[in-house]
Amino acid sequence: MGKRLRIYLPFAANELKRKMAYKGAFYLFIVISLFKSFISYYLWMAVYGSSNQAVIGGLSQSEMIVYVFMVYVTSSVMIPISDAISDDVVKGTVAMNLIKPIDYRLSLISRAVGSMIYNFLAPSVFIWIGVEIYKVTVLGLAPVTVERIILYLISCIMSFLIYVLFDFCFGMIAFFTTYILGLMMVQEALLGFLTGQLIPISFFPQAVQTLFEFLPFSSMIYTPVMIYLGKYSGEMLAFVLARQAVWIVILYVLGSMIWKRVTRRLVVLGG
Amino acid sequence: MRTCKRYLRLYRVLITQFIKTIMQSKVDFLMGLFGFFFTQIMGIAFLYLVFEQIPSLKGWTLDQLIFIYGFAQIPRGIDHLFTDNVWLVAWRLVLNGDFDRYMLRPMNIFFQVIAEKLQPDALGELLVGTILVVRSLSKGIVITDPLHGILFFVSIFAGALIYTSIKLFFASFAFWIKVSGPFLQLAYETADFAKYPTEIYAKGIRFLITWVIPFAFVAYLPASFFLKSEASGVVIGIECAIAVVFWCIAYAVFNKGTHVYESAGN
Repeated sequence: MGKRLRIYLPFAANELKRKMAYKGAFYLFIVISLFKSFISYYLWMAVYGSSNQAVIGGLSQSEMIVYVFMVYVTSSVMIPISDAISDDVVKGTVAMNLIKPIDYRLSLISRAVGSMIYNFLAPSVFIWIGVEIYKVTVLGLAPVTVERIILYLISCIMSFLIYVLFDFCFGMIAFFTTYILGLMMVQEALLGFLTGQLIPISFFPQAVQTLFEFLPFSSMIYTPVMIYLGKYSGEMLAFVLARQAVWIVILYVLGSMIWKRVTRRLVVLGG
Repeated sequence: MRTCKRYLRLYRVLITQFIKTIMQSKVDFLMGLFGFFFTQIMGIAFLYLVFEQIPSLKGWTLDQLIFIYGFAQIPRGIDHLFTDNVWLVAWRLVLNGDFDRYMLRPMNIFFQVIAEKLQPDALGELLVGTILVVRSLSKGIVITDPLHGILFFVSIFAGALIYTSIKLFFASFAFWIKVSGPFLQLAYETADFAKYPTEIYAKGIRFLITWVIPFAFVAYLPASFFLKSEASGVVIGIECAIAVVFWCIAYAVFNKGTHVYESAGN
């Protein structure tokens, strides 16, 4: 364990340093990604204003505000790695990774950990604090309890693992086609729905909800945010956390299987 | 007249070359197209879900919002199709010195930049936009007298020019700061705000997207002219004026930029 940490920690540390180097661009991208949150904030305000019900899709207007911005905070754990895989495959550098005595997937995940820590520290924590202050002072809701923060963070870490393990499997497509940009866009658009990022899953018809809850994607964003909102308790809470853990195992095994098959048929030219 | 003909011929030659490279990888082309198409469809699905809960949004019906959404895609798609290479100026052509080759040829520089590439992915946006507009026409919610018909095409053209101008303006910063991609991205993404009626936003945001980065004039404002009979055609006039002014500014900055351009390394 200690040895492993010594091998893979530098990957995370390097990624963190690399991110720090391009601070200017990074802050602009924060503003851009916040655009989406603000658009949905204003849209939801108008929706609640036009509705004659106080609670829509199981959420009150105040809860929806918290939902929208906590989605932003939570999505900082969604660090894509499939673009790096595609890059490595196209350039052939994936061959170098095969001859080194390191696990390719673990090195990618370590790099993602670096990015995640940076994303989480740089904008997300501040936005989170902002949400809490706004929630208590303007919306007049009770502040979040320590217990719930801990549960939320545990759920977030599992979300991170589910996402990177899933994206690793997705990235394996790069071995079959060189242009996965189009597919990445499809993935992003689909995930917007399936994870609850665009709209809470509780807004879907019952049958669709059941399906979405069964898929691994709702565990990425929807589950931690709903935990944060205090929508789960007791057995239900244990169930959603266990479901996240199960998906980690499934996706890990699936990724290993695909990786084995794919590297067997890999042909790299030159080098 | 002769220069015009020459440029048309050059454009055909350059684009033919480009299309040959696309044809080498048809699968990539189809996937890009599908990607954009799919993203737009998801945007519509989102509207449907929201309107399951409410009868109208600030007085707008679902059908009207779908028209605004679709209408907005057309100028965006046109600009995307023809001038996508401007993005590369912002991200790398100036940085790595590749811009040299435009400086050396006896042709208009901006023409060379855009003639080098067509972005077929944009067809996805155009396709969705057209489908949604046709759908709205068949529902009879759009005004269809000849005046509105002509202004429809004028508006689309002016809207595309506004897009191109904003892109060119921010991309031109690259001549001074080498990479202006993040700024361009920031400006470009504000277009997302204009997909919905601007009444839903706070005053500051409304002002920003109407007059500073005028994407409201590409999407929501002209679209509402085609939906509501009491709306005045002046809005299309302002759209055209904005398009011309922004284009002149952007092109002047671009020209100035090409004069301060310094190549990179050897």
